[in-house]
Amino acid sequence: MTFPIGAIPGVGAAIGTGGVAGIDSTAAVTAPGAAGGGDAFSSILATSFDQLAATQAKSDGLAAQAATGDLKDVHDYMIARNEASLATEMVVGIKNAAVSAFTEIMRMPI
Amino acid sequence: MAIFDTFGISGSGLMTHRKWLDAVSDNIANVNTVRRTDEDAFQQRMVVAEAVEYGTGEGGVRVARAEFGNAEGRLVYQPDHPLADDAGYVKYPDIDLGDQMSQMIMAQRGYQANLAVVERATEAYKAALMLGKG
Amino acid sequence: MIGEITPAALHASLSGLAQRQRVTADNIANINTPGFLAGRTDFESSLAGALRNGETPQINGGTVARSLEPTNTNGNNVNLDAETLIATETGLRYQLALNALDGKYNSIRTALRTN
Repeated sequence: MTFPIGAIPGVGAAIGTGGVAGIDSTAAVTAPGAAGGGDAFSSILATSFDQLAATQAKSDGLAAQAATGDLKDVHDYMIARNEASLATEMVVGIKNAAVSAFTEIMRMPI
Repeated sequence: MAIFDTFGISGSGLMTHRKWLDAVSDNIANVNTVRRTDEDAFQQRMVVAEAVEYGTGEGGVRVARAEFGNAEGRLVYQPDHPLADDAGYVKYPDIDLGDQMSQMIMAQRGYQANLAVVERATEAYKAALMLGKG
Repeated sequence: MIGEITPAALHASLSGLAQRQRVTADNIANINTPGFLAGRTDFESSLAGALRNGETPQINGGTVARSLEPTNTNGNNVNLDAETLIATETGLRYQLALNALDGKYNSIRTALRTN
């Protein structure tokens, strides 16, 4: 099964290229020398959200099985739950970093 | 938990061995049950175990049926017994105490073994529930 | 060596060990069943093969076969000592795999939380 956490190095790189424009589609703020950086970052964010939704759905499905007594292996549910929570932390981390970078830039004197 | 699960499997093992122990205890309690010669003797009870869902390897065991021993019993000459017939014979069950004792030991051993599996499975499940708590 | 094992391989190992635990429980439940042949599971072969080829391992618990060891007069070949050893070893390996996976989650969490 795919483990979304493998994308951590990618996240760091994406934030480093300053693709802040992906957050607000109407913003005219674009980091210098990162013409394609905005699209790359927004697509990374979108993929992370999709993967997050998938892991959370999987975890919820297994939780429902555990509740009805249909769950075959308890570790299946525990693994899905941990993956969902780590994926959530990752997406929240991306969002926080992006927001703080955006705020930094907005504070810069023109 | 699902029906194909360690607790269910071992639970079926515990129940089946318990029923075996019950049958053996009953046989031992009745080893001296006297009947008249024109009646059937007390018949020893044997439980027949069979695997459930044998192909999956995860179905457990159940008591398929009970079988009964020899009804003819053995005739013993006891003319003073109130149930003795005209020739002075009464009927005792055809139960060998030594055989019943060794069955009891096997049934107890099987019961204990299944209990140990339940304990180990509990530890494993508890460990799995701690996954991710650091 | 544990550092090189992926979470998917650990998950496959956990599922295989859980199935082995169930089949061993089935053997012990049937220790006095006439005609019963002990079950044996194998997930290590396909897991090792997948890791050798660099593929993602399948998480399906492995295969179940019947032991062909000699039977007693009842047609039953379950050996309680062997099953007890297998059950104990399986339980310990299960906890070891859980431990390894827990370690991986911890290091990811640490990486996510430190700036």
